[in-house]
Amino acid sequence: MDVSQYLEIFIDETKEHIQSLSDQLMILEKEPENTDTINEIFRAAHSLKGMAGTMGFTRMQKLTHQMENVFSEIRTGKMSVEAQLVDVLFQCLDAIEEYLSNIEQTASEGENDNEPILNQLQAILDGGGSPAAPAAAAAPTATAAPAADNGNRKYKDFVYAEFEKNAVNEAHNKNLNVFAITVQVDESCILKAARAFLVFKSLESHGDIIKSNPSVQDIEDERFDLDFSICIITSESYEKIIGVIKNVSEIKDAVGEPVPAFAAVTQEVASSKTEQKKEAVADNKKAPDKKPAGKPVVNRSVRVDIEKLDVLMNLVSELIIAKNGLISVSSSDNVSSRGFTEQIEYLERVTTNLHESVMKVRMMPIETVTNKFPRMIRELAKKLDKKMELYMSGEDTELDRTVIDEIGDPLMHLLRNSADHGLESNEVRAQRGKPEVGTIELNAYQDGNNVVIEVKDDGNGIDVESVRNKAIEKGSITEEQAETMSDKEIIDLLFKPSFSTAKKVSDISGRGVGLDVVKTKIETLGGDIEVKTKLGEGSTFIIRLPLTLAIIQALMVVVGDEKYAISLGSIQTIEDIPVTDIKYVQSKEVINLRGTVIPLIRLDSVLDVPRNEDYEAPDRMLVIVVKKGDKLAGLIIDELIGQQEIVIKSLGKYINNNNKVIGGATILGDGEVALILDANALL
Amino acid sequence: MENTVEVMEEKVQYIVVKAGVEQYGIDVKYVDNIVRIQKITRVPKSLPYYKGVINLRGEIIPIMSLRKKFNIEDEEYTSKTRIIILKPEQQELIGVIVDRVNEVVNFSESDIEKLSIDNKDELAKYISGVGKNNDNDTLVSILNIENLTADGRDAQAQ
Repeated sequence: MDVSQYLEIFIDETKEHIQSLSDQLMILEKEPENTDTINEIFRAAHSLKGMAGTMGFTRMQKLTHQMENVFSEIRTGKMSVEAQLVDVLFQCLDAIEEYLSNIEQTASEGENDNEPILNQLQAILDGGGSPAAPAAAAAPTATAAPAADNGNRKYKDFVYAEFEKNAVNEAHNKNLNVFAITVQVDESCILKAARAFLVFKSLESHGDIIKSNPSVQDIEDERFDLDFSICIITSESYEKIIGVIKNVSEIKDAVGEPVPAFAAVTQEVASSKTEQKKEAVADNKKAPDKKPAGKPVVNRSVRVDIEKLDVLMNLVSELIIAKNGLISVSSSDNVSSRGFTEQIEYLERVTTNLHESVMKVRMMPIETVTNKFPRMIRELAKKLDKKMELYMSGEDTELDRTVIDEIGDPLMHLLRNSADHGLESNEVRAQRGKPEVGTIELNAYQDGNNVVIEVKDDGNGIDVESVRNKAIEKGSITEEQAETMSDKEIIDLLFKPSFSTAKKVSDISGRGVGLDVVKTKIETLGGDIEVKTKLGEGSTFIIRLPLTLAIIQALMVVVGDEKYAISLGSIQTIEDIPVTDIKYVQSKEVINLRGTVIPLIRLDSVLDVPRNEDYEAPDRMLVIVVKKGDKLAGLIIDELIGQQEIVIKSLGKYINNNNKVIGGATILGDGEVALILDANALL
Repeated sequence: MENTVEVMEEKVQYIVVKAGVEQYGIDVKYVDNIVRIQKITRVPKSLPYYKGVINLRGEIIPIMSLRKKFNIEDEEYTSKTRIIILKPEQQELIGVIVDRVNEVVNFSESDIEKLSIDNKDELAKYISGVGKNNDNDTLVSILNIENLTADGRDAQAQ
């Protein structure tokens, strides 16, 4: 039977079952007697087994079958739930997940039999609940990296194409060095792709990378394990290059050797060689751990609530009715403007609703990324030997699909940061009289046009003084600067890339590993991140994300003859002020608004708006007070048009000329283009 | 034998436009569209030869002035003024304002005379050659579209 058409459904459903198994196991660990949970797990394992069997994934079936046997024993009360058992079961889940990801990539489950796990399950069954050799449990299991014989020198697997050989030979002729290097990324590294990118980036200034394995695309998409290999042509020495690579933080190791010049090959030999190479490649593919590169065989899909689709369908039918209404009005002899306006209003209502519904389909609850966190914290707690508990709220807060896809890694990073560096060890907590179990909170909620996600711990907080000292020591700031910088400014240094690359800082301050990466990621999503911390009491990382990336509420204003849009989210108030109120501080224009001194920005001069020669400044001016964090500024404009929902469009690559003030453009109702001002960039 | 080569030689179509006193030829493979002049929204702080952006069927398209690019005095828009929407390879659309569109001509490679590159002349890189239009005995400067549109992108990349 051809089951490939069911593959997508299989993958979706398996993911759901794995998630539900993982959730239920967490509950089971706390309440070993909960029969509902046990039944639920049994059912999930059973469905998994059935599905895997139908699809012909025998290894997966075998594993789930064994799991089901164990649960069956538990269900009938012949066996009790122990922590070790739960550990083994979690390993099973990991193994199933690996099968699943293999299936997603290649439509086959891979070659890993996961014997150790099967044996352990068997031992549990045989021994009636006392799993043998838990030490071995942690060992090879799901990772299955009996890699190539070359171990961490995977660059030896390189198969050079003809043009690459030519490049190598040419480099030798020019007296340049050619090195093949394998880079190992630290196991605890979360944003592997970003680290790899940094490696590439820093190497680019020292030479040309002519080859990489996996391909650059795969590395960018994070389709590699913990290492990747590159071949670089450079004028620098081997030590220098290795040094450059190791300078990137979270890089565990880099080894390599020079590549000798290739013997010149004639065309015929070359063709036979390519054949050999093809064979070699084919051999490699047979090896169990080689993940064949390339696009996944299954497209990503979203599950949409059928009700949402029904609403969409209804709206589309209304749209058709509205269109027919318009046709009949226009074809009737006396085109009455009233009928026309009525139809237009109807159409408007329908399109607004349609837009809303489509946006809703794109929205997903944040739960889809957060539900893997409890398990991660559980494992971290064991690994770090700290007692901690994760409390989550607002998991049903919805965000745009594109944001959801990207936000998982930064959040995971922050949580790990809190668990690893934020929370104190058990002893220190006892000394300080804090509750034995550390608390990490993950709160998500909607705030106007933004979604706020907070990661909060009750740990040590950030030691501002030690960050300050470290920054001076590192030369990021001078001592004089340090004197004048506020605590907040000092903490912001942690997000600077130059800061986090120094491992020492993170050891002492306990913060700073990869926060720059987190910040960059969040900023590309149009959000921002800030920290609140109190030494000894804990810290809170606050992430603000736009609800959707494409549509915002904006205030339309006029400057000169030009229309601009300002995002409503950044506007504090709108003031009508006589020009005489302008005061000067250090020859800069400010106003004193109800006790707050606000600097003024004349938009017409910032934007070089052309003025008629007979233009005279009015004696009252309109000031829009915008805020960015704690900073305020007043933008002077000529006229207000009003609030409007606008669709953000990019200005493209040509014209913007690195000008951050213009954040994009939008198309107004009359087809005219208005530019969107980024108030944040003005401040 | 020589005759067959002559016949086989491929002709490329060029759209001939006018800006200032000169005629310019644009390879049709780059031309996405030709539209009438419409309201252009100025973009502050952009490079001087960009006039702004327009809305073309819901898409925002940056508009460059060919006259300004070639340091000719600014144009006045007439009923003949057109915006040529170009699609450089692998890049986004961009519009170029020209005084008028004259005709479409076929040039084979032998009709186009390569220019000796003068490094001092910055504008030379925008012209890839000069075509001789034998029908009305005029010269057409063939625009190098990739170079012409690359500047803004490069400035952006820095």
